[in-house]
Amino acid sequence: MERYLMTHSLLSAWLYAMKENPYEDMTTEKDSYAEFLSALKREPIPVSEAMQKGIDFENLVTDIVRGGGDKTHYWYEAAYKVAGIVKGGLLQYSTSREITVRNRRILLYGRLDALKAGTIYDIKYSGSYDVGKYIDSTQHPTYFELVPEAKYFTYLVSNGTNVWPETYRRDETPSIIPVIEDFFDWLDLQGLTNLYKEKWLAL
Amino acid sequence: MIRQPNEIIEKEKKIRILIAGYPGIGKSTLALSAPNPLHIDVDFGIDRIEPRYRKPFIQPQSYEEILEDLTPNNVKDFDTLVFDTGGKLINLMSLWAIKKDPKYGQRDGTLSLKGYGFVGKEFVRLMDYCFYELNKHIVMVFHAIEEKDGDNTRLRIKVEGQTKNNVWEPMDLGGFMEIYGNDRTIGFSNCERYFAKGTRGIKGVWKIPELTPSTPNDFLTRLFEQYNALAAQEIAETQKEQEAYEAAIAKGQEIIASIVDVESANAAIPKMKAITHALTSKQEINVAFNAKIAELGLVYDKTLKKYIPAQAQEDAKGAK
Repeated sequence: MERYLMTHSLLSAWLYAMKENPYEDMTTEKDSYAEFLSALKREPIPVSEAMQKGIDFENLVTDIVRGGGDKTHYWYEAAYKVAGIVKGGLLQYSTSREITVRNRRILLYGRLDALKAGTIYDIKYSGSYDVGKYIDSTQHPTYFELVPEAKYFTYLVSNGTNVWPETYRRDETPSIIPVIEDFFDWLDLQGLTNLYKEKWLAL
Repeated sequence: MIRQPNEIIEKEKKIRILIAGYPGIGKSTLALSAPNPLHIDVDFGIDRIEPRYRKPFIQPQSYEEILEDLTPNNVKDFDTLVFDTGGKLINLMSLWAIKKDPKYGQRDGTLSLKGYGFVGKEFVRLMDYCFYELNKHIVMVFHAIEEKDGDNTRLRIKVEGQTKNNVWEPMDLGGFMEIYGNDRTIGFSNCERYFAKGTRGIKGVWKIPELTPSTPNDFLTRLFEQYNALAAQEIAETQKEQEAYEAAIAKGQEIIASIVDVESANAAIPKMKAITHALTSKQEINVAFNAKIAELGLVYDKTLKKYIPAQAQEDAKGAK
């Protein structure tokens, strides 16, 4: 039986499209449904300014962990704090795990920013932050499924000056499986299952 | 003096807790159930508390007054400092900050961005002072507000600007009070209604017992005792797990360091399999092992079930 890839980004794009119904307001600039379809088709996403800042911040953290990093960089202090937390762990660790959902073989896939002593870390650069920002994210439920040995998931959120760790425990995190089940049901209803199977077939 | 993690004496630990809820739900009364509290009534709301639950209090009109009152000598007879409410405390702090340096304010009297940063840091400093220097439990009371977040309605603490993120930073526990039927509850686990903070085994939703004339108002006192008991238990368990993890990592690193060629790589296979893993040591060691194998230019031959030089595999493919 064939296997299909599943990532938290795809689920996140779908949930976002469901939450923000583009047909409710035709003046909406961002068409979340179109964005989801683009994700479903695995079309490359143009790197936005915000995404680039996230990449740059993460690179600075990695440089510091490896003993480098530009000390005059205006993000240095915050990146140094994050580096101190993830140092000694596995950085940029790609992993996958097969699960069965609705009788389909699914290969969950994720790229962890860091994994260390039972905690998964995800580094986020964010211009605005409120405590609990990631409570609804599909990322920590998906990654807990990916790494069954992990007990905690910590978002290390920074605006380049402050660092706010936001931690979720496994026992308080809802399973991602029902979300995947709902996603498959929805794909079936929308007649998009074949597109998913075509684009997300695991080699 | 350098001490070992298992030497932590958790019985001595003071606790910092944030309590949030709607006005009138009984936050102040609950806050005053902490051990031997001083009520820092910034909200001037003591008259709303039933007289039998009232405790010694101060009603500061300015932040300077709070700083003057909170000296080691003044608070030596108390075990807990109850700030009621944290929102009002931050308001007083904001006025003090703007008076201290006008750049922390805007023309309309609100804080500037720099001001929010300064007040956030001052909040954390005050908490550190009360906790580390005065050695007191801290109870920080906040009003909760509802915020629409897509289809959900969320409870958040009522604080202006980015200060709300600094408020959570020093807290050991943070709970939201709600009413379910006739029961008042406080929840310490993240859920779709709110982002809370539970540590050291304090998690989930706790029912707050109804107070009657014959029952003592001691919910937080008992919670703190439980926190410390659970902390001791969790530290023991975590310590065991951490030691097993560190032993596995050390063993793995030792094996990986011994790999210098194809023979030692193959000799390492059973040793790697024999490691008793804990937490995420397996993933961490396997990645380091695979990196070493790649560095030596070796590949795994599934037929021979052992590592061989990558070149040998290429040659074999070429011969076919």
